Amino acid sequence: MSLAALSETQSPQSVLQPAEKSEAMLRLLTCGSVDDGKSTLIGRLLWDAAGVTEDQRAQVMHASHARAVNGERIDFSLLLDGLVAEREQGITIDIAWRYFETARRRFVIIDSPGHEQYTRNMATGASHADIAILLVDARHGVKRQTRRHAAICNLVGIKKVILAINKMDQIDWSEERYRAIEADFRSLAGNFSFTDITAIPAAALTGANVVARSVEMPWYEGPTLLEYLESVESRTEPEDAPFRMPVQLVLRAANDFRGYAGTVTSGAIRVGDRVVDARSGLGATLQRISTMDGDLETASSGDAVTLVLDTDLDISRGAVLTETQRRPTNADVLEARLVWLSEQPFDPEAGYLLRTATDLTPVTSMSVSTLIDFETLSSRQAHECGMNDIADCRILLGRSTALDLFGDLPLTGNFVLVNALDGATVAGGVITWVQKGAAVVGDNILVLDRSRLSGLCADLGNSPEDKAEYDRRAQEVAILLRSAGVPVLIETDR
Amino acid sequence: MTALTSHLKLLEAESIHIFREAAAQFRAPVLLYSIGKDSTVLLHLARKAFWPAKLPFPLLHVDTTWKFREMITFRDRTATEMGLDLIVHTNHDGAAKNINPFDYPPSVYTDIMKTQALRQALDNGGYDAAFGGARRDEEASRAKERVFSFRGGGHSWDPRLQRPEMWQLLNGRLGKDETVRVFPMSNWTEADVWRYITLEKLDVVPLYFAKERPTVERDGQILMVDDERMPLRPGEEPTMRKIRFRTLGCYPLTAAIESEAMDLDALVTETLGARVSERAGRLIDHDEAGAMEMKKREGYF
Repeated sequence: MSLAALSETQSPQSVLQPAEKSEAMLRLLTCGSVDDGKSTLIGRLLWDAAGVTEDQRAQVMHASHARAVNGERIDFSLLLDGLVAEREQGITIDIAWRYFETARRRFVIIDSPGHEQYTRNMATGASHADIAILLVDARHGVKRQTRRHAAICNLVGIKKVILAINKMDQIDWSEERYRAIEADFRSLAGNFSFTDITAIPAAALTGANVVARSVEMPWYEGPTLLEYLESVESRTEPEDAPFRMPVQLVLRAANDFRGYAGTVTSGAIRVGDRVVDARSGLGATLQRISTMDGDLETASSGDAVTLVLDTDLDISRGAVLTETQRRPTNADVLEARLVWLSEQPFDPEAGYLLRTATDLTPVTSMSVSTLIDFETLSSRQAHECGMNDIADCRILLGRSTALDLFGDLPLTGNFVLVNALDGATVAGGVITWVQKGAAVVGDNILVLDRSRLSGLCADLGNSPEDKAEYDRRAQEVAILLRSAGVPVLIETDR
Repeated sequence: MTALTSHLKLLEAESIHIFREAAAQFRAPVLLYSIGKDSTVLLHLARKAFWPAKLPFPLLHVDTTWKFREMITFRDRTATEMGLDLIVHTNHDGAAKNINPFDYPPSVYTDIMKTQALRQALDNGGYDAAFGGARRDEEASRAKERVFSFRGGGHSWDPRLQRPEMWQLLNGRLGKDETVRVFPMSNWTEADVWRYITLEKLDVVPLYFAKERPTVERDGQILMVDDERMPLRPGEEPTMRKIRFRTLGCYPLTAAIESEAMDLDALVTETLGARVSERAGRLIDHDEAGAMEMKKREGYF
């Protein structure tokens, strides 16, 4: 087919709709091994479904003609590979973000590189995605790098995966081959916690099952790629998640205004609720939720707000404000699974810092216990790890900080590891286990727990009102003791 | 209360989060203010991030002396009305040598009056972080950029060595000689910007709206004759056309489009239906393949 003919038959099917759509943007990762056709698949999706403007079409057709890599065909990957080096070498080096909308939904596609040496860029992309398209070349099946990418998707918290078995045109649209690859992937995915795996046979170059249904594969009755993407539910937060707001900074202004600025990472808070600084255990009542558009009554997950409390907790950046009941752990020992991103391998002697939501904590010591084997996806004992490895490790902190488990609350359970010398981000990880910090309950600190307060609170039961009253009394006792110079930690049952 | 859609609310919250992370981690940030629609939204988001406190950083405008006159009027009025700390910088060496967009190729002019000027201003101010309104949907090399975009000595950008940026965690720890460009609006699209301006009732430079303006047609593009410094080619006669601009920059390098969109609603409708990208009107991006990436490697914003 000639270029001109293609350009006429492949006109955009939908123009951007000015009407607001009900759903938020779906963040979509494309990954898989090099040369399996990621950029081409996404280029094809953009070309057929929406988001390519006329000047971009003209540019791509012009460049395709100049390079003629696919004979007379359009090189759809040119829509994604925006760096000069990428175009010269015909590879993807870094992730590209492409925004488009169809009549039904808004998308951002995060196209990631397949080369092993650029895995750190793929991990960056994966951590921002709701859902992943994992591409496999139908001729070669699942490769080592496919397994590595699947493991990274799993690590960063992606739950839904589309297994796009591409280049079906190269294997005569063979159902048998397709089924074998799907079965292979489903069996290895047993190692992961994906909740939804959808396999789609496709051919990016011809567009089969990308937007248009393939006539060559009548045996496939599932959705096309676009049909699936327009209807899949994106990541939703569980209802009744506990409230967390990591403090980014303290804002001071005229009239003695003092507010804690941050983004609510989970749950919700209402004016009048009690909030607690997770590290000190000190509590206060929420007086105002302040924004430039006026005060709010409530704030919930995702809101960037400023909280004004009735008493000064003397906290700063790095603190986590929490509800009174289900609090994070004040931990100084943790176990985590991480993906190593730096070219310099893990060095037990190097100085690292743990960057959590808003805190930066020195690492006293760190050790690797196991590595994932990307052939079998099982763990094996190890003490070292290097670039692109996934490792389980144990980290001791120089002081305690407020942490959750990633499986419970991702945004207060994730971290990056920072090289203290040059500031580089050397690893990204998720917290799998924590131990309460010994430093906080040291010799000189009085812990106010149930047993210590049993006399004072003998009249209180387990109703919500009584629990609130328990908290109030504990706070009052703590204030009295602190004013007498006694360091106090309030311990609530969880 | 605002009437923002849930989509715009999320984008706004994300941008505020980024502003706060940067303000908390960097010693001396500055906001690159270029007067256009993206800068208008960027400034509004910054004010929201720190309200009721004042902006904890100044604004910097790199003035090539060839901006549309209406842009300068708008800039000065905005700064006065909002009580902003605005720094205006011009590359005076370049201006003294009369480096202008008519006698020099766009690449030379841009390098001296924009890229070098910006580097001078950043070095003079000792800034370690500069906020910009760039969006990933603008252009192919922008689509590859991080939110915290690290620059080596001389403000150079190495696209092969971008720092990993996972989840919402923004690591702002600088290495030796490093500075950072911060892009709080990375995930906004052009349509988002206009919808937001409409819903938040933000004031923008009138050049975005269609009006009869003196123009010439040159090399297939419509240029506005904004002042008497523009040399006319033989046979050229300024004619009035009803035009507006999708992006704003130096008037000799910014092509207009013929349009009837005289208010925000008409403009949003026109933008959403547009079949060419906004950068088609930026003459400096078409010099050569990868033009934007080359400029960025050298320190352009």
